[in-house]
Amino acid sequence: MEKNIYESIRCMVTGVEEESPSIKTVMLKPERDFSFSAGQFASLSVPGVGEAPFTPSSSPCEKECLEFTVMKAGRVTSAIHSLRKGDIVGVRGPYGKPYPLDSFRGKEILLVGGGVGLAPLRALFLALLATSADYKRIIFCCGAKTPQDYIYKEKILDQWHSLCGKMPLSFRITVDQKCPGWRFGEGVVTKTLDGLDVDTGNSVAVVCGPPIMMKFTTLKLLEIGYGDTQIYLSMERKMYCGVGHCRHCLIGDLFVCKDGPVFTYSQLKGKPNLWV
Amino acid sequence: METLYISTRNWRSFLKGRIEERRIYAPFDSRNVTCYGRVSNSNLEDIVYCRARPAEPLKMFLMPFRERSCPSLPEIPDIVVMGAAACDLAALRILDAVFLNGQYKDPNYHMRRNHTLIVSFDCLAPYPSCFCELVQIHPYAESGFDLNISLYGEGMLVDIGSDRGREFLGNDRGFLAAEEEALRNRRESRRQVSEYIIEKNRSHDLKQVSKLRETFHTEFWKVPKEVENCVQCGSCTNNCPTCVCFIIEDTGKEDVSVKQKVWDSCLFPGYARMAAGSSPRPTLYDRYANRLLCKYWYMPENFTFTGCTGCGRCISGCIGKIDKRAVLTEVLREKR
Ligand SMILES: Cc1cc2nc3c(=O)[nH]c(=O)nc-3n(C[C@H](O)[C@H](O)[C@H](O)COP(=O)(O)OP(=O)(O)OC[C@H]3O[C@@H](n4cnc5c(N)ncnc54)[C@H](O)[C@@H]3O)c2cc1C
Ligand code: SF4
Ligand code: FES
Repeated sequence: MEKNIYESIRCMVTGVEEESPSIKTVMLKPERDFSFSAGQFASLSVPGVGEAPFTPSSSPCEKECLEFTVMKAGRVTSAIHSLRKGDIVGVRGPYGKPYPLDSFRGKEILLVGGGVGLAPLRALFLALLATSADYKRIIFCCGAKTPQDYIYKEKILDQWHSLCGKMPLSFRITVDQKCPGWRFGEGVVTKTLDGLDVDTGNSVAVVCGPPIMMKFTTLKLLEIGYGDTQIYLSMERKMYCGVGHCRHCLIGDLFVCKDGPVFTYSQLKGKPNLWV
Repeated sequence: METLYISTRNWRSFLKGRIEERRIYAPFDSRNVTCYGRVSNSNLEDIVYCRARPAEPLKMFLMPFRERSCPSLPEIPDIVVMGAAACDLAALRILDAVFLNGQYKDPNYHMRRNHTLIVSFDCLAPYPSCFCELVQIHPYAESGFDLNISLYGEGMLVDIGSDRGREFLGNDRGFLAAEEEALRNRRESRRQVSEYIIEKNRSHDLKQVSKLRETFHTEFWKVPKEVENCVQCGSCTNNCPTCVCFIIEDTGKEDVSVKQKVWDSCLFPGYARMAAGSSPRPTLYDRYANRLLCKYWYMPENFTFTGCTGCGRCISGCIGKIDKRAVLTEVLREKR
């Protein structure tokens, strides 16, 4: 018998961490091997409630534990937020195309993430760290609404930041609205791109965040001198099947689930209803 | 391809033998529509042969409105569906391309396709909504069926399109080799039906339909007055033989996922809505345009052939009485 494409791998919830008032990271132990590459996503199902697509936020090199960082936005995500240690969920995938890390080699890599968009970038960042000698430099620009909304606070602000002296890595951190005690920048994430000193001829930019942030970041990157093929965007659309059948995720003729979820701007330019 | 001739009397007695062993569906008149029904001894003589496409598309049999996919598939019997038109077979190319030919096979469709034998009919009396010739599909099929039937003289011509089709006929003595003259006559009558459809569609111009990709801006779709009559009911997508969109529902309890696929419609406002309530197609015009762009742009790009087969079901079934042909003609004219 052929494998049923809708069958999920059973996973045990091994922990839940609160990242911000609306974002939690769930840690899962899959019953069977679930391997993915940075950029790919999975369909996470809460039995009796439904499925929704998420990009793992854990390192693709980590085989034992799979993590998803999820913002509460509706039915399924609320159910995910009420999961507890020991609960059973399902995961199927991985779906979509990975980041073309091979073609990133030798380049300056600019990561731009906003809000929960930092989740998928975390998996990419960890994959980049594992082969950091392959890249010329990594610049990580992060944004959130307020310091309270920052996810991975300890990780980004302390742990990862401390790597900066040891390798060609830098962070540009901002919040839309700061509060007392905040020691980084203020302003929307596109502001971190002001005065950026990159060799745009030898750089790629990877962007993930809410639609409005993606739009303005793209425009800004174009202005700075990035070409259409150097800008990688993580697109979000309503999804069900994940495999190119249900047609919910189409952007024009492109399937976010199958041809994406990461696209270069040159692929997307001129497609209908691109920016939500 | 091998073509046989059988008299109507012999065909009926052949079918009589077959309904004992298999569920057979065929078109019947029911008030003012012709729709599929189960063939039995008592209605054998009422089957409507070779008029035009039945009210329902083939997807009714191959991807029912709601069906369980996980943890197990439902048990289904072998069936025979008689009466599909050539446009329905053209639609099967799309369904096969979506559900079978890619990297992932849909478990339900795969199972049903294997359990379904398809007997297509030539069209002799197309409806006013039929426009297959405008999308380069003829009102008769030359491939894509297990068996195909054309009325001829006091009986019918039966084309054998697959081993399964041949097996179904068995070695019934009623089937004779078709004569060359019969085939010649059939060619002529088929040509006449094609011309009739072209003539009936004179006022519609879809020649430039590949240019539709240049018309996705909302403004183009505000030009044809009819579009605002759309009540977003989803009748067009339900009746469309190539609309395949579905959602996955989970009705399981405790730690078992029970997933079922249920049809969806891109005309529904909630279809593409994402977290936080934002939608890539917020207005009716965006959604109406999307359905047609999907047929004439996305599907051809995805599968190399058109997503619209000209069956006209979305026209005859539209609650808002929108004639898609007129809308397309107008949008394309606006483009120029
Ligand atoms: C490839 C990909 C990767 C992703 N990765 C992540 C990730 O890593 N982390 C993350 O947090 N998210 C991620 N997302 C987004 C995530 O999938 C969505 O947030 C999730 O699907 C929301 O599901 P839900 O069931 O909770 O929301 P739903 O219940 O489906 O609701 C969605 C929104 O629609 C609104 N809505 C629903 N029904 C109605 C109605 N009848 N009337 C009015 N409004 C309504 C709800 O208010 C809600 O805001 C990703 C998406 C994609 C496509
Ligand atoms: S059948 Fe007509 S009214 Fe109903 S959704 Fe389709 S176009 Fe709109
Ligand atoms: S999610 Fe179903 S086609 Fe992409």
